[in-house]
Amino acid sequence: MSGFIDTLQFVFAPQIINGLSIGVAVVLMALGLTIIFGLLDVINMAHGEFYALGAYVGVTLMAIGVNFWVVLLLVPLIMAPLGYMTERLFIQRVFHQKDRHILTLLLTFGLAIVLEDVYKLIYGPQALSVKTPIGGGSEVLGVFFPNYRLFLMAIGAVIIVGVWLLVYRTSLGAMVRAAAFDKDMASSLGVPVSHVYAGTFAFGVALAGLAGVLLAPVYSVFPTMGKDFILLAFSVVIVGGLGSIKGALIAGLVLTQIQAISSLYISPSWTDPLVFAIMVAVLMIRPQGLFGRLGHA
Amino acid sequence: MRDSTSAVLGALPSRPVLQREDVARNVLRWFAYVFVALALLFAVIAQVHGDVFFFRLATEALIYGGFAMGVDLLLGYTGLLSLGHALFFGLGAYTSAVVLKGLAPSFWLALAVTLCVSTVVGAIAGIIAIRARGVYFALITFGMAEVLAKAVFNTQELGGSDGIIGVPVIKANFLFFTVDTGNAAHFFFLVLAVIMVFYFALEALLRTPFGRLVVAIKANEDRVPFLGFNAQRHKLGIFVIAANVTALSGALYPMLRGFVSPELLYFHSSGNAVITVILGGVGTLIGPLFGSVILTGLKSIIGSYTEHHLIVIGLLFMCSVMFFPKGIVGSLKGLVESWLARRKEQS
Repeated sequence: MSGFIDTLQFVFAPQIINGLSIGVAVVLMALGLTIIFGLLDVINMAHGEFYALGAYVGVTLMAIGVNFWVVLLLVPLIMAPLGYMTERLFIQRVFHQKDRHILTLLLTFGLAIVLEDVYKLIYGPQALSVKTPIGGGSEVLGVFFPNYRLFLMAIGAVIIVGVWLLVYRTSLGAMVRAAAFDKDMASSLGVPVSHVYAGTFAFGVALAGLAGVLLAPVYSVFPTMGKDFILLAFSVVIVGGLGSIKGALIAGLVLTQIQAISSLYISPSWTDPLVFAIMVAVLMIRPQGLFGRLGHA
Repeated sequence: MRDSTSAVLGALPSRPVLQREDVARNVLRWFAYVFVALALLFAVIAQVHGDVFFFRLATEALIYGGFAMGVDLLLGYTGLLSLGHALFFGLGAYTSAVVLKGLAPSFWLALAVTLCVSTVVGAIAGIIAIRARGVYFALITFGMAEVLAKAVFNTQELGGSDGIIGVPVIKANFLFFTVDTGNAAHFFFLVLAVIMVFYFALEALLRTPFGRLVVAIKANEDRVPFLGFNAQRHKLGIFVIAANVTALSGALYPMLRGFVSPELLYFHSSGNAVITVILGGVGTLIGPLFGSVILTGLKSIIGSYTEHHLIVIGLLFMCSVMFFPKGIVGSLKGLVESWLARRKEQS
C-alpha cells in the first residue's frame, strides 16, 4: 500500500505538476488562437511568431535594464497595437472575399515566415536565455519544484479567469460575442464591428506575447520557439472546439496531462503523435470539437 | 455520363459556357507549351556554355514544381488546402532513396515502389483528412506531416536527423537508350519529361467525368450527393492522386541530390509548395511549374546576397495573396482570354 502511495507521490505527482505548468502555457497560447478564430474566422498561423515576438520584446526591454515585472506589464501593451495594425493592414484586405478562410490562413502564414526570418536577422539563430526572476524552489507534496513554475501556474490561472470574465461578464465582451454571433445585427445595434475585429485580434496577439514573456525563463528564446508549440496549441483548440474558451481551457489541461503521464510509459518523442491521434479521433467523432464556439454557446 | 456530370455543375451549361471552358483550357495548354519551349531554350543555352550548376538548379525547380502541382490539384481544383503535403514529398524521397540504396539501383523500380507506397499512405491519410473541411483539413494535414517528420527524425534506421546519404547515381533504362542521372543535362531532360507527363496526364484526368466531379465538389460540395454522386469517394480519389504526383516528384529528389534528410518533411517544405502554387497561379496546374522556377531562381539570386531570403519571399507571398490572388499564370490567363474574346468579336 505504501509502495502505491510512494509511486503516486514521487512518480505521478511531479509529472502532473510539470504537466500543469506546460498546460497553463499552452492554454494561454490556445486562448488567443481560439478567440481570434471564434470571432474573425481567422486561423492565425503567425500566432507562434507573435508568441516569440513577445519573448523577444521582453528580452530587449530587460537588456536595457527594465525590471521583469514591469516588462510583464509592458509587453502586452506593446503587442496589442502591433496586433491591431496587423489586422488593419493585412487581414482586412482579404477579409471580405469569398474564400477568406484560406486567404487569411495563407496571409498569416506569409507573415510568420517573414517574422521568423526577421528575428534571425536581428537576434541571430542562437537561443537567448533569460534569468529566472524568482529563484529557489518549494516543496509541494514532498517533491521539490522551482518557484517560478509554481508562480507560472498561479498567474496563468489568474489570466485565464480574467479573460473569461472579460469575455462573458463585461459589456465589452458582450459586444465581441454579439459581433461573433451576428455581425450585421450587432452592427445595426451600434457595435463598431470593424474595430471590434481589430481589437479582438490585438487582444489575442497580446495574450500570445504575454505567454512568450512568461515562458522565456523556462524555455529560453529562439526564432522558432513558436513553431514547437503551435501544433500542440492547434490540437488543443481543435479538440476543445475552434472558438470555445471553455474548450481551450479543458482540452489544454487534459491533453498536456495525457502527454505528461503517458511519457512515463512511452518515449517522450511519441507523446506528440499521441496527442495528434486524440485530435484526429475527436474530429472523426465530433468534427466541431468538444464545445461550441464563441458567441454560439 | 457526360450529360449527368455537366448537370453536377448546377445547371445545364449552355453552348457558350462550354466554349468558354474550352478556351480557358486551351489557353492553359498554350502556357504548358510555352513552358516546355522555355525549358528547351534554357537547355540549349546552358549546354552551349557547358554549364552544370544551372542544370541542377533547374532540375530542382522542376521537381519542386511537381510537388506543387500535387498541392494545386487539391487546392485549385478540389478546394482543399493541404498544409502537410511535404509528408508525401518526403515519403517519395525516402522510399526512392531506400530502394535505390538498399534494393536495386533501378529507376523504374524506385518509381513503382513509390507509387505503391504513396497510394497506400495517401489512402490512409486521405481517409483521416477528407472527413474534415476547410481549415480543419488544413490543420489535420499539417499535423500529420509534423507527426511523420518527428517519427522519421527519431528513427535511427532511416538515418535519424542525418537522413540517408550516399544514394548511388543510376542509369534509367528506356529500352532504346539509357539516361545517366549523374549527367546534369540528361537528367534535366528526364525530369522535364516526367513532370510534363504528369501535367498532361492530370489535364486529361480533369476532363474525364471523374475530374468534372472533383471540380463540382469545389463549387458546391453539399450539392454533389443530392445529384447521386459520392463526394467523399471522389475526394479520396483525388487526394490519393495528388499524393502520387507529389511522391513521384519526391522520388526524383535523391537521384538529383544523392541524399534525403528529414527537412524534406518539415512544414517549411509544405509551406514552400503552397507559396509556389499561389505565386504561380492556383487552379492552373501549369502555374505551379512557372512559380517553382521563379521561386527557385529568386532564392538562388537573393541567397547569393543574404541568407535571409525568406523575408523577401514571405513579403512577396503576402503581396501576392493580397493583390494578385490569381498568381502569375492566373492573371496572364485572364488577359489572354479577354484578348481572344475581343479578337473573336471583331472577326
